[in-house]
Amino acid sequence: MISAHVTTPKLVVSWLALLALTFLSFGISRAGLGEAELFIALGISVVKTFVVLFIFMHLVEQRFANRLIVSLTFLFIALLVTLTVADPLTRKTFPPRPDPAAHPYP
Amino acid sequence: MSAQRLAEQFESLEKQDHAARLGMWMFLGSETLLFGALFAAYAYYRGIYPAEFVQALHHNSVALGTTNTVVLITSSFTVALAVHFIRESRNRLAAGLLALSTAFGAVFLVVKGIEYTHHIHENALPTGMYSFVDQPPNGVVLGYTLYWFMTGLHGLHVVAGMIMLSVVGVLCWKGRYGAHRNVAVENVGLYWHLVDVVWIFLWPLFYLTD
Repeated sequence: MISAHVTTPKLVVSWLALLALTFLSFGISRAGLGEAELFIALGISVVKTFVVLFIFMHLVEQRFANRLIVSLTFLFIALLVTLTVADPLTRKTFPPRPDPAAHPYP
Repeated sequence: MSAQRLAEQFESLEKQDHAARLGMWMFLGSETLLFGALFAAYAYYRGIYPAEFVQALHHNSVALGTTNTVVLITSSFTVALAVHFIRESRNRLAAGLLALSTAFGAVFLVVKGIEYTHHIHENALPTGMYSFVDQPPNGVVLGYTLYWFMTGLHGLHVVAGMIMLSVVGVLCWKGRYGAHRNVAVENVGLYWHLVDVVWIFLWPLFYLTD
């Protein structure tokens, strides 16, 4: 059942990799790349998440059923977020946002 | 180390542990849907008000946010080490690492509390209470409301995780868990790692924006 074993050196390397990715993400955010920054930062976050999932959460040594749940979770969140954000980003005929004159708060 | 009891509905301890682990993964899946809906709300409103979100969130301290990222990642590392050592029946070491992880959680909350205190003094509050700038545009208020709600919900998860970490930490010290009985430690660890993963996404969305 156990195909790979998470050892102490692997944990230490993963931790250092996560810290390195954090500082990489921080450095890129200071570089002034505009809109692209957000997507690069989120991409780095996805990589970090996989490190946490497979090494820290020992997913690498668990059964397929557990990995299936994680894959489906990712799929559903990606669907939820992309389909939701597709609405405001593709509006052409409707007003893109509520009328600013209609202030919602007193 | 005490032996693990086999409940009557299971054939073997291996299957019992697998069921416990599978149940935890399913719980984590449902937790991510809770946060997933909030991330979808964030994406939706940031899609509508890109400039206002950047304006609102620029106010957050990148230094404090990054400190908290490092603290949480390190706490995840110490939890992973604790799970590793309890599997080798090194109880005292595992208990110490779980106590250290709980302390990292406390450091995270203190830093978050410092940030919240600054925001409260500056009236950078959620919804209609926001008056950091006069006549704030809608998008600014929405961005800051999402900031408070998402980091607040995450903070509650940190508190819950700290309680669970300290409980299994004490039980590790007392010798309840060991090489043949550790699925509870593993599952608490999984919960803590989820809290870490959520922050890994909150950090770029609320701090690295400018």
